[in-house]
Amino acid sequence: MTTRLARAARSAESGEVGSGQPAVRLYHVSKSYSAGHFALRDVNLEFARGEFVFLTGPSGAGKTTLMRLIFAAERPSEGQILVLGRNAPRLGPRAVPPLRRRIGVVFQDFKLLPRRTVEENVAVALEVVGAPRREVKAKVFAVLKQLGLQHRRFHHPPSLSGGEQQRVAIARALVNEPDILLADEPTGNLDHELALEIMDLIAGAATRGTTVVVATHDQAIVERYGKRCVRLEDGRVVEDRPAPGGAP
Amino acid sequence: MTRLLARAATWVRSALRGFAASPLTSSVAVVTIAVTLILVGAFALLVANMESVLVRFGDALRVTAFLDDSLDADAQRALASQATRVEGVESVILVSREEALARFRRGVGRGAALLEGLSENPLPASLELSLSPSLRSAAGLAQVAERVAKLPGVSDVASGRDWVEGYLRGVALVRGVGTGLGLILALASLLIIANTIRLAVLSRRDELEILSLVGASRSFVAAPFLIEGWIQGALGGAFALAALYAIFRLVLPGLEFGLEMVLGGVAPRFFEWRECLSLVAAGSALGLFGAAVAVASEARS
Repeated sequence: MTTRLARAARSAESGEVGSGQPAVRLYHVSKSYSAGHFALRDVNLEFARGEFVFLTGPSGAGKTTLMRLIFAAERPSEGQILVLGRNAPRLGPRAVPPLRRRIGVVFQDFKLLPRRTVEENVAVALEVVGAPRREVKAKVFAVLKQLGLQHRRFHHPPSLSGGEQQRVAIARALVNEPDILLADEPTGNLDHELALEIMDLIAGAATRGTTVVVATHDQAIVERYGKRCVRLEDGRVVEDRPAPGGAP
Repeated sequence: MTRLLARAATWVRSALRGFAASPLTSSVAVVTIAVTLILVGAFALLVANMESVLVRFGDALRVTAFLDDSLDADAQRALASQATRVEGVESVILVSREEALARFRRGVGRGAALLEGLSENPLPASLELSLSPSLRSAAGLAQVAERVAKLPGVSDVASGRDWVEGYLRGVALVRGVGTGLGLILALASLLIIANTIRLAVLSRRDELEILSLVGASRSFVAAPFLIEGWIQGALGGAFALAALYAIFRLVLPGLEFGLEMVLGGVAPRFFEWRECLSLVAAGSALGLFGAAVAVASEARS
């Protein structure tokens, strides 16, 4: 409930209109890095608020590119992207950081700071918004406890296992109670049991109202969670399978 | 306000972390700034002391008007009274011929025996004119001397104008050399600071990317580097101040003769606390500016 209220307050602060709008909407989006080679071609998609969506497809299908477009790390070559009511490609340098603070990203390579402790790595997401130190400490401890990492909070990432590092990355993405959570191959390097454990943590965010987009090529996981699945191949959407029974 | 303070605390922690991560390059930057400020500070100290000589001797800067021998005592007093009304004159002392001779005897000591053979007093009466504070300079001396020379009954005028002009030229030379050297060294320090911060930016590129991905603004990313440059500059300034003080206390006493020539017996003084703060502030500004150059150039690339 607190999380939903916090999100509502942030939406109001950012001047976002129409909270009934989808979290993400892509109109005829294409992205090419070199002439004639398209990472994405004419993609039209909509992710509702609180929806859990899998992006699947082989390597090089465009899953990572699609995510990078959503958190404004790149601009599309063509088309428009509305993220939380903002036209992401048209945002100026000053407007991008506030949008990113509302999006949690779990990277395939974790992107943790090796010389900082687990606690400091997670705190980074709160420090950039200027949260007071006491609040940072409390929130970081809470999220680490939720992910079972509180006993590792003073350790440095290189001393952690792959699964633990992945959980730190998830903790950093969740600590700011994001409106959207993007996870790029979050289970790529993990064994099956650990992969399910990580996926349960990510799925938990969706139950709290966060829009969750998970890029994976692990079909077993997609089948197990029974959520909407968008399949990309060669930069195109080749299948958009809704969740069985219309579940979010 | 709380958020701003929280951000500032994060920046300072991050800057100190950066400082600790590359102690060698940071130390080189600090030492460079310190060396620059020691040299500039030494020249500034010399100029300040030389200028204080003029200020301290200001009330001793006088114009002497020699009077015609034909003037009797009443005429001399009348002329002295007239001289007090000359613009730029603060006070007038009438020195009679007898008084002049008595001073001369006291001044030459044992050599006074030479005067025994004189049949009459060869020294003229004179007026010693001290100047208003605003005119205690070479130009002021010249102006007052010119005005006094026009008074009827004044046969000749003498002033320390040549000495003051020469001394001021010396002060200007020292100041010019100090400024020139300071500018060259400041430029060198600036480049070294800029490169140090640039190296810090490059070595933390991954960290900066992550900060940007979690929503850090450009100013949030840049601020720790600016603080790092500022700290390096302030430390350099503080070290320079300490070194200058040590030189002042330990080395200057051994240079007594040279000092006597330059300062004419005036006890040398160290910087006042405002000047000390200015030196540290100059170092801070140098560090901050160098860091700003590095951050701006990295942001462009």
